[in-house]
Amino acid sequence: MSVNLGFAQASNDFLIAALLIYSLAVLAFAGDYAFGRPRRKAATAAAPAEVAQLAAVGAATAGAGAPAVPAGAAEPVSPAVPAVPPTGSAGPVLPRRVGAFQAIWEAGPWIRVAVALSTVGILSHVVAVVCRGLAVHRAPWGNMYEFITALTCVAAIFFGYIVVRYRAWALGVFVMGAVVLALGLAETLIYTAAGPLVPALQSYWLSIHVTAMTLATGIFFVAAVLGIMYLVSERYRKRVVAGKAEPGNGLLERIPSAQTLDKLTYRAVVFGFPVWTFGVIAGAIWADQAWGRYWGWDPVETWAFITWVIYAAYLHARATAGWRGARAHYIQLLGFASLMTNMLIVQVFITGMHSYAGVSG
Amino acid sequence: MGAGFAPSFRPAGPGLVISRSCDQARADIGDTGVLPPGRLQTVRESLVFKAKRRTVVTATAVLAVLLAAALAVTFLTQGKGNAASDNTVVYQPGHRPLAPDFTATSLTGATIKMSSYRGKTVVLNFWGSWCPPCRDEAPTLAVLSQQYASKGVDFLGDDVGDTPANALAFLHSVGITYPSINDPGYLIVQKFSQVAPVSDTPTTVVIDKTGHVAAMALGAVSYGEMTTLLHDAAVTS
Amino acid sequence: MTDVHTPKSGPEQVTGPAAQGEATARADGSQPGAGGSPPGQAIAGWLRWGWRQLTSMRTALILLFLLALGSIPGSLLPQQGTDPASVQQYFTSHPALAPWLNRLGLFNVFAAPWYAAVYLLLFASLVGCVVPRTFRLVGAARTPPPRAPRNLARLPHSVSYTSALPPAAAVEGAATVLGGQRFRLRRPAADSTEHWVSAEKGYLREAGNLLFHLALLGVLLSIAAGGLFGYKTDKLLVEGQSFADTASALDEIHLGRLVSDSDFAPFTLTLNKFTASYIESGESRGQPSNFDADVTYTSTPGATPKSYNIRINDPLSVDSLKVYLIGHGYAPEFKVTGANGQVAYQEETPFIPANTGTFLSDGVVKAPDASLGFMGVFVPTAISVGGTLESIFPAADAPAVSLIGYSGNLGMNSAVSQSVYQLDTTGMTEITGSPHLLVPGQTWKLPGGKGSITFVGVKQWVSLAITYDPGQVPALVCGILALAGLLISFFVRRRRVFVRAVPAASGTGSVVTVGGLTRSDASGGFEEEFAELAADIAAAEPGNQSNTGA
Repeated sequence: MSVNLGFAQASNDFLIAALLIYSLAVLAFAGDYAFGRPRRKAATAAAPAEVAQLAAVGAATAGAGAPAVPAGAAEPVSPAVPAVPPTGSAGPVLPRRVGAFQAIWEAGPWIRVAVALSTVGILSHVVAVVCRGLAVHRAPWGNMYEFITALTCVAAIFFGYIVVRYRAWALGVFVMGAVVLALGLAETLIYTAAGPLVPALQSYWLSIHVTAMTLATGIFFVAAVLGIMYLVSERYRKRVVAGKAEPGNGLLERIPSAQTLDKLTYRAVVFGFPVWTFGVIAGAIWADQAWGRYWGWDPVETWAFITWVIYAAYLHARATAGWRGARAHYIQLLGFASLMTNMLIVQVFITGMHSYAGVSG
Repeated sequence: MGAGFAPSFRPAGPGLVISRSCDQARADIGDTGVLPPGRLQTVRESLVFKAKRRTVVTATAVLAVLLAAALAVTFLTQGKGNAASDNTVVYQPGHRPLAPDFTATSLTGATIKMSSYRGKTVVLNFWGSWCPPCRDEAPTLAVLSQQYASKGVDFLGDDVGDTPANALAFLHSVGITYPSINDPGYLIVQKFSQVAPVSDTPTTVVIDKTGHVAAMALGAVSYGEMTTLLHDAAVTS
Repeated sequence: MTDVHTPKSGPEQVTGPAAQGEATARADGSQPGAGGSPPGQAIAGWLRWGWRQLTSMRTALILLFLLALGSIPGSLLPQQGTDPASVQQYFTSHPALAPWLNRLGLFNVFAAPWYAAVYLLLFASLVGCVVPRTFRLVGAARTPPPRAPRNLARLPHSVSYTSALPPAAAVEGAATVLGGQRFRLRRPAADSTEHWVSAEKGYLREAGNLLFHLALLGVLLSIAAGGLFGYKTDKLLVEGQSFADTASALDEIHLGRLVSDSDFAPFTLTLNKFTASYIESGESRGQPSNFDADVTYTSTPGATPKSYNIRINDPLSVDSLKVYLIGHGYAPEFKVTGANGQVAYQEETPFIPANTGTFLSDGVVKAPDASLGFMGVFVPTAISVGGTLESIFPAADAPAVSLIGYSGNLGMNSAVSQSVYQLDTTGMTEITGSPHLLVPGQTWKLPGGKGSITFVGVKQWVSLAITYDPGQVPALVCGILALAGLLISFFVRRRRVFVRAVPAASGTGSVVTVGGLTRSDASGGFEEEFAELAADIAAAEPGNQSNTGA
């Protein structure tokens, strides 16, 4: 089947559009950073109300039409302390019972614009990926360029989910900025025209193995960005404590607390690690079909293993005294570095059986 | 033990239940952090004993795993290749496997039937014109075939992985006149290997008058070696 | 995992029981010593200390790092197991460095003893951690949940409300709700005056964790089994050729330790035709689009022949073996006549591709019985670029071969084996007129009456890998079990919920406090679960909503 040039062109167009829209979204997030209304007051005011809401929720779910719990009955006998970060910095963690749209509206004009732009950007990105798939009549992750466009799409969607679920608007600049960078690189340096796959890749395992790796990479991408933010935030906090920095630095005070970032990173890795494991297993099954052995220490296989081991080390570190804070994040970032090495260096420059990147190099 | 699960609580006083079993005691320690005095010594002893027992079991399990793994690794890293080693297998009379019967085509197109060689000793040589050790031993075989022709010994070749053109050119240049089977696909070799494994070329097999395999020599054979084998093969009982 | 708080000090402090008094020393079985510990105790102490170090999380972390670090040279340097030719090349290009790397085992990292030591220690640490935890899990699963703390308000999640029911009934109602959600319950002793219920759930989490780690061990053992009992062999076949699966027929054999040559299955296979399709036009011109090896095979001699099309992602299964299509190339057919005019050589000669894009291939023709040898370059679609022969398309549309001829003794009559793809030209003279270009059908009459070589035609060859791996399926099963264990351990939370009721100050009814805590926050969401549970418990008691409390 020959390439459908119409869809191929559409894919390129939609991707460029996504890139531009993402860039504008990054600017909007940055604008909120610089000029947006402070949200800390709103956050602390919410904390004691959490408990009342919990009980109210309880009554509400108890049954429609049941008489409302009087305010007095909801008065806690003891102060219930939900898991609000004790450092007291910005960013409510618990999902407030306010709806997502309302939360976005309340966050201010900059955030409204940024979220709207991000949504449109994500839609355009998804259309681009789908068009590419329609153009080549197969799953659109058969070479490096397609892989990067797909994984940045996953990262953007995953980021969108985190931001909306945890109302962590301040992450926007960093994650979307990274997405823009990655996409830009893909477009300029790694672009490959739509074409059919070499016979070795003509298998339904492409949809399974590469999809899993794409998903996992997108998730780890977000985790890495969050990890960097955590390290910066932690370092700033320590400097404030040591008296070397002024507290109230607008830029760093607006991102979620280190503890929140730590928890979000952990949850992201917890989500991505099984997907990566599944991807490696699927890759082994496919390797057995195609190359006659399920594990041959091919360079890409080896680096996928190394990445897995490092992320496993991160998960162990999080359960070990003395390794929980910044050290664990260093490990996590090391794992992502290993992933990037695998994707950008090993797959392209080291000859092995995985040389399907399609990059002339 | 449950440590780290809940903040420690002080015992409420006389209302505390004295636990009767170790499990209960452990659960209590985990929650309250404090044991009633007097229980301390006995509980600690039994706990220590149970801990030691678990350590012993665990240590044994780990040692067993380590041992198994070490053995596995040692074995794994010494896989076998296809190195040809010079060795000869001689089968004593009465313990000789029966050579398989087959019908095949020779290099010149004639039909060769293995069973037609019954009553004669046969030297079956697996060779190829591309194989230097085979070429090396061929003159020896040529001489032997002529010497033993009148002594009831027939020579037969099985030309493997070769083309008739190449093989016949070689046979002509080395002066071998006995027939060779055209076996580019190693079919006869496979058949033979089920009786006595032919793992490389050249391999020379000596089959006695009753059609049983008397000896098998892996690698190029020498004149002396062959005469000994032929002598031994002649003894059939 | 729980922390193992390993004491940083040495073994002296850790010979615990012996240092702590006579009663416990007696429990040890050793002599109650007046002063220092007996020597047996000291060694045991050291062992215990070492054991605790090995099974600590910190050690596991360090070993994981070492494993990752040690794998890196295995991916950057050529490895003996997969590409021995590149290893040789490395030796020639780095004559000083290569022997040292070799001594460190860096050309065969994954079979090196030091690498094995790392993962063996890691698995020892794993087993040493997992087995006690299994005991603990079984023990914990058998012990009832702990008693409800007195002050539930101190727990991370708690909520309080007033109920119209007396304390006992309120707690019973709560117990029913919790029991309905498959919590394990514990109530106070029958003679207690307190009213509370403890509920615990989520032991599956630890079970999943243990399953994951044990399954990894299973993967290791499966790989070992495959290595011991499995084998891999290679065979190069030209179109039209057939072969029987026997040791001497195979080009390369890699046997597991407990496998011998005679264990090969007696199947035979014929390559009828090999088709390689390439994209003819457009941006991807020259890229392969399909490979198809049409084969006929018999699983045992005399069985009915069956056909199959082996493709790259589509191996052939014969008995418990798998036959894979690994590579392909061209085998031009040559006919060589000697000085006497007799045919000395006629064979389709496999040439090895030097360029996998254009399939420009190298090969040699050896005709020892005419004392002639040729080194050749074959191009499937030939063009001449400034006098150099190049190939512009991988399909054999316009094949040509360029030959350099040598005459003399090829050295094939010695007992030393030679590679069929290499010609040793020492002692041979180059034939004038080399290099000589031939297209199919052409003959090169060699000067000096030495003979001639004819380029007859072109066929293709395929290389097949025949493998047997009994550890394959167990490894897959263990891998899937590991994944399942991982998912369970991540997404199941171990949580405890306590309900305590005390009589209300007003005399009727009670104040019910519900408290909850979770051991880990991996997937989050306990807040919602707790809120829902609290709501369910409150809702399960009719009439509590009407109370206006204080």
